[in-house]
Amino acid sequence: MPAYHQMGHDSENLLFADGLERYSGAILSPINYEEARVALQIERAREARDFDTVFDPQLYYPRTERGVLREWDYFPDDFDTADLSSSQWWSTLCQRLRDTCVRLRPSAVCSPAIVPATYSDDYFATTLQVGNDFVSLLAGTDISPIQTVIVSYAELSNPTRVRTIASIVSQAKAARVFLVLTGETEPRRELTDTEQLKGAMKLISLLEGARLPVVVGFCSSDVILWKAAGASFCSTGKFFNLRRFTRARFEEPAAGGGQLPYWFEESLYAFVRESDILRIRPHGLIDGTLERNPFAMEIIRRLEANPGQAWIALGWRQYLCWFADFEERVANGSISPGRLLQSAEAAWIQLSDNDVLMEEVRNDGSWLRPWRRAVAEFRSL
Amino acid sequence: MSPQQLESAACQISANRGLTFAGRVGAGAFKETYKVVDSFGDAFALKIYRPGFPAERTQREIEAMQRCSHLGIAKLVTLAKLQWQGTTVLYSLEEFIPGGTLSRRLTTSLLSPNETIALGAKLIDAVDHIAAQNLVHRDLKPDNIMFRQDGTTPVIVDFGIVRDLTNSSLTGSWQVSGPGTPFFSSPEQLRNDKNLIDWRSDQFSLGVVLALSALGFHPYADQGLSDVEVVQRVADRRSQTDPFKAAAKQVGLPVLVDMTAPWPVERIRTPRELATEWARQQRQK
Repeated sequence: MPAYHQMGHDSENLLFADGLERYSGAILSPINYEEARVALQIERAREARDFDTVFDPQLYYPRTERGVLREWDYFPDDFDTADLSSSQWWSTLCQRLRDTCVRLRPSAVCSPAIVPATYSDDYFATTLQVGNDFVSLLAGTDISPIQTVIVSYAELSNPTRVRTIASIVSQAKAARVFLVLTGETEPRRELTDTEQLKGAMKLISLLEGARLPVVVGFCSSDVILWKAAGASFCSTGKFFNLRRFTRARFEEPAAGGGQLPYWFEESLYAFVRESDILRIRPHGLIDGTLERNPFAMEIIRRLEANPGQAWIALGWRQYLCWFADFEERVANGSISPGRLLQSAEAAWIQLSDNDVLMEEVRNDGSWLRPWRRAVAEFRSL
Repeated sequence: MSPQQLESAACQISANRGLTFAGRVGAGAFKETYKVVDSFGDAFALKIYRPGFPAERTQREIEAMQRCSHLGIAKLVTLAKLQWQGTTVLYSLEEFIPGGTLSRRLTTSLLSPNETIALGAKLIDAVDHIAAQNLVHRDLKPDNIMFRQDGTTPVIVDFGIVRDLTNSSLTGSWQVSGPGTPFFSSPEQLRNDKNLIDWRSDQFSLGVVLALSALGFHPYADQGLSDVEVVQRVADRRSQTDPFKAAAKQVGLPVLVDMTAPWPVERIRTPRELATEWARQQRQK
C-alpha cells in the first residue's frame, strides 16, 4: 500500500510537489493549520484521484504546546482540567469532532485519544469505547472512521501484554487502526530495544492478521520494521528524519526540527550528513539508488557545483521521496527488509574496516543488529 | 420455596392466564421450568424465579432476551409477577422448544462433518444476532442449545449470565474467574479478564461445542488429561493440542482451530467473517 504524508509545520508545499506524487494520502494537522487552511488542503486533495485525506484531531497531550489547535471548534475548553474518565466528556468531544469533520469532509478521521500516564487495560478499553462510539456517530456520512491506538514501546516488551493489547484493540469497529508508538528516543537516535521492537511488530502483525489494516503514524527509517510486520500503511513527514513521537516533540516550538540537512542513505540504512556523503561516496555506497530519487540527484549536483550551499529543504524531499519509493518496493516484494538490513550492516562493517567514520559519533549502524533480530524473531514471539 | 410450593405457584399462574399446566421440565440455579399449553395448543416454558434470585443478573437476562429477535434464540413472551402466599413470585413465559438439547443428541452419536457445518452455520447466525445487540451470552454449551420441532433448527437458551457490553459489568474485578461453565469457557472468562470479553468469547465456546459435536473431544484435551486439567490448559492460554488440530483439518473443519485460539485477537474478528469462513469449509469439502 502506498505511503501517507504526515503534515507538519510548513508542509503544504510538499503535499503534491513534483517528485512526491507517490504518496496516496495525507494525515492532516490541526496543530499547524487552522480550519480554513485544512479545508483548502482537502479541497485540493479531492482534485487528485484516490487521495486519502485523514484528519487526526491530535489531542495526544493535555497541557503541552498546541499551535492553533485551541482555535478549532472541537477543541474542549476544559481540556486541561477535564475528568478524562468521563464518558459524557468524550461523547461531547466526539460530537463536536464529528461536526467539524462533516464541514471539512476529509475521507477519513482518527478517533480522539490521549497519551495516558499508564497503559492499563482500562485505558485501552476506554479508548476503544470512544472509538466505537465515534464510528456510530459517523454512520450516514461518507467519512471513514479510523481507530487511534497509542502504545508505549515499553509496554510492548512483554509478549503477553502485546496479545492483551491486540485483543482489546481488535474490538475496533472502525475499518482501520492508526497506530502511534510512543517512547523517549532522543532526536537522531534510532530505536534499539529488540524486545520492544519485536513487540511492536507482533502487535502490527496480530492486528493485520485480524484483518484490521494498520496505519503506522510518525514513521521514520523504522518503516522497514513495520512493513516487515505487515503494516498496510506507513506515514511520515519531513521532520521525522530526525524525531520520533515523544512528549518532548510536542513541547518544542512548532517550527523546530533541526537546521542541519540530512540525507537518507539506503545502502547504510541511515541518515547521514553532508560530509558523510562525500566520505562514503568513493566506497560506492551513494550511487545505487540515485536514479530513483530526483532530489538526491539534485543534492549531488549541488554538492559538486557549490559545496557548502544549504540544502535542508532538498534533504526533506530526498527523504520523503525515498520513503514513498521504499514503501512501494517493500510492498511489491522487490526488496526484502531482512536482506536489506543484512546488506546495510555489511556495508557499515566495510566502512569501519576502512576507518570511514561518520560525522556523528553515534551514527555507526549499531542499531541494525537489534533491528535484524527483531525482523528475524518477531513472528515466533 | 419448596419444589411443591413452586409447582403450586406454577399451577396458579397457569389457571390465571388460561393455560393448561403440563408438568415440570427442569431446574436451573435460580429458576424452575414448567411446560404449559394455551388454548390453541401452543406450548410455552413457564419459568419461575426462586426467592433470592440475583435481581440485577435476572434483569440483564430479561432485557437481553427482549432485545433479541431471532429464530435461533428463545423468545420471551411475557414477564410478570404473582402474589402467592404472601410473597411476590417473578415468572416468565418463553416459547417452548420441544426438540431436546444438543447434549441429549450427542449421547447417541457424534454429528457428521456436514451436520456440524449445518448446525454451526445456524448457531453462528444466532451468535451474530446476539453480538449485534452488544451482548455476550457467556454460557454456550450443549445443554443450552435446544432444537425446534423440525429437529434441525438450533435455539440458544438461558441468558442467565449474559454480559451487556453497553452496561457496567456485574462481575467483581477481584474474582479469580468470571461466570460461565468452565469446560466451555474462554481463557478470558476463566481468568476474569473483563476487558477482553466480547463476542469472540462466545465464538470460543461455540468452537468447543462444535468440536465436541464433530470430534467428540475438547480442543485442549490430550490423552490422560482430566477435564479439570483441560480447563487449566485453557486458562493458561496454552495452544490447542496437535491431535485436535489434525482432526479438525482431517474432517474438513479447520475453522474450529481459529475459533478456539487462546487469545481473542487470534480468533475471527467479526461474526460476518466467521460466517464466511465457516461456509467456505462446505465449499472446500
